[in-house]
Amino acid sequence: MKLSEDDIYRTSTQYKHWSFTPAQLAAQRQKTNLVAAERVKANVARQRATRAKQLDTASASESDRANTPGIENGNGEGGSTPARPGGEVECLTVAEEMKLVDVFCERALELGAFCGFPIEVTATGIQFLRRFYLYNSPMTYEGQNISRTCIFLANKTEGIHVTAEEYAAKFSNVTSDQVLAPEYLIVQALRFNFDVRHPFRGLKGAHLELWEIAKGKFAPLPHDSRTGEAAQAEMLALPTKTGEPAGKRVSVNEFEKRLTATYNAASAVLKTAALLTDAYFLYPPSQIMLAAHLLADEPLTLFYLSTKLPPSSPIHAKLLSTIRACATLLSSHRSFTSSSTIKEEKEARDKKEKSAVAALIKKLRHCRDPDKLDLVQLNQAHKRDAVQDGSLEEQKAKRRKLEREKAKKEADDFWGPELPKNGAKAG
Amino acid sequence: MSKSARAPGASSKRLAEDGGASPLSHSLHSLSLQHSSPSKPARSPAVADPSSDICPVCKSSRYLNPNMRFLVNPECYHKMCESCVDRIFSHGPAPCPIAGCKRTLRKAKFRRQTFEDLKVEREVDIRRRVARAMNKQESDFETLKDYNDYLETVEEITWNLILKIDVENTERRLRLWEETQKAERDPNAPRRLAEPDPSLPSDTSHVVLKKGATQRKALAASSGNTPDPFGTSDDADKDAGFVFHGLKKYVPPEPEKPFNPFGGWGIEPKYYVFQKDYDVDWLTRQKNDPGHLVGGYDMQDFYSRCLREAFGGLGIFIEDEIIARENQASGDAGVGTRSAATAAAGGKDVDMSDVF
Repeated sequence: MKLSEDDIYRTSTQYKHWSFTPAQLAAQRQKTNLVAAERVKANVARQRATRAKQLDTASASESDRANTPGIENGNGEGGSTPARPGGEVECLTVAEEMKLVDVFCERALELGAFCGFPIEVTATGIQFLRRFYLYNSPMTYEGQNISRTCIFLANKTEGIHVTAEEYAAKFSNVTSDQVLAPEYLIVQALRFNFDVRHPFRGLKGAHLELWEIAKGKFAPLPHDSRTGEAAQAEMLALPTKTGEPAGKRVSVNEFEKRLTATYNAASAVLKTAALLTDAYFLYPPSQIMLAAHLLADEPLTLFYLSTKLPPSSPIHAKLLSTIRACATLLSSHRSFTSSSTIKEEKEARDKKEKSAVAALIKKLRHCRDPDKLDLVQLNQAHKRDAVQDGSLEEQKAKRRKLEREKAKKEADDFWGPELPKNGAKAG
Repeated sequence: MSKSARAPGASSKRLAEDGGASPLSHSLHSLSLQHSSPSKPARSPAVADPSSDICPVCKSSRYLNPNMRFLVNPECYHKMCESCVDRIFSHGPAPCPIAGCKRTLRKAKFRRQTFEDLKVEREVDIRRRVARAMNKQESDFETLKDYNDYLETVEEITWNLILKIDVENTERRLRLWEETQKAERDPNAPRRLAEPDPSLPSDTSHVVLKKGATQRKALAASSGNTPDPFGTSDDADKDAGFVFHGLKKYVPPEPEKPFNPFGGWGIEPKYYVFQKDYDVDWLTRQKNDPGHLVGGYDMQDFYSRCLREAFGGLGIFIEDEIIARENQASGDAGVGTRSAATAAAGGKDVDMSDVF
């Protein structure tokens, strides 16, 4: 009855509830988008109807809609329905939603850096955000509020204690109520799964072993017959690029520099690109870590993998292809700066990106779900005995409270609460 | 009082035996528990007997001393009042003051009698002692008949002791049986030399107030070198007192295994070999930092966590496993995601506050 690392990972909620195939992920997003779009349309229509009734003049809402320039010439390819003033709302498409979530995530990364939180807090917060937006649409809940609260939640889960007031004080015009309002909503959407397995923790473990090998203190697994010296020699003679023949042996100190550089590069990838892509949904953290390592130093990673799995192992080839696929995903992200990218090209790309995002946010502003705009009030309404303006409500609340207390007291009695009158007669 | 057999046949037999037994058994039927207590010394008029209220030793009566209490010693069951016991026996063992009784009594053994009839009191004592030694159950025997035979032997011993028939031999066998049973149950217990039970009457016992040097020597000699007068020896086929046919051999319970809080489960890494220490430059500061060490932080915890996280899920191919999971049980797999999916399809937010 021995468990391996894989079995332990299988018990995690990340594996059980938050791992998907790409097809599942796409289907889920499609579904979320569809549902949210329908609701937005219904809610906007309803709101318009009530407003029209209230004002008794249709022109008011008409003019409201009229001063919305620039949607039509935004992204033509995404619009399912052309926006007509006063007609159907033009909702975001799945691709646009994904783009927006990515933007939120990037902003959350900046937010974490701005508040000076450690990277694991920010990383957990970003994963919360991504998980939240897998089942909720940015059209329903606004990204800024959600990401703020996600980071706040991540602080709690990572064991860094910041009170809501302290946290809210870091921003201008944000009250602690605003931070706390969507908290329960997020926690529900996360299905109370707070555990996020990050790959950058494992990176340290991998480097513990790599350093040991470099120093000739290789502890081989049963399948490996190499001695410490042999592994060290092989490692020190590793070429810097794949495909090259084994180079000449470098000194241990020299190699340690290479290890440090690799660590830094891999860690940078894990702390940006890995967070901002779907890698966490698609791959276990170990494979993400190795993929980032592969991007940083391919020969070294392949050598390291060979000490873990013999090339004859049936999963070796499969694992390598999975890791390569993950590496492709990581390197496809904008933040991944490979030496091949030219600076001007990158700047131009960033600029284009920025304008696209601005257009998206503008579009989002017109297709927000009007019911979910004020999260603070929604949260208040959800609470027991919510006092909503007026003493009538207050009286009701008081009466309800009294009733509850009475029922509780009776339930504590030895024979339980009294039976209903008619029930007693029937018995 | 008497041992009851479980089988109907045996019980009828036992009843018959009980019914046709000696006059003592009549006292069994008429036995009555004394209701008297220190706070209520008065007796019911039916059993009021003037002689029972007068101490046979000092002749003082309850009339003069209403708080008088009578005590008996299970050695000879002679009744005397509390003050007499205090007076005679507080300086150590002394012979019974009743004329004709030569037994040595000790103060500690005196007690209040439970039953009105001292014969019943004695029988109950004997039965208690026999029951302590002969404590086999039906499940210890192979057949019901064997068990009934055993019960009959037990009853025979009991009546032998009660009626003082062949007391010495019965006592010896009973003691031997007790010894062998004890040795069987607990082989590591130190073997004590069987001493005659002082609570039971025996003809050989005589007044020994203080053991003289010669007596002590004689005792030591009889217990040590001289062959046992009853012929017990430490041979392999030694006398166990009684031989019961069909008695199952005692199987000692298996020694308890050391407790494992994880029920035998453990973690065995597949992809790495855990080393005691990792000699890396970037941890030297933490390793030597008293701020880390004083709190009891163990670097090995760090190592094992790092390595476990590094390889947790290395051999998991999510796509394959999820498809397998879906195929295997479309019902219960991924409850969370599924319910979320249905909730999303229903056009509602996942709102769990209704649950509570």
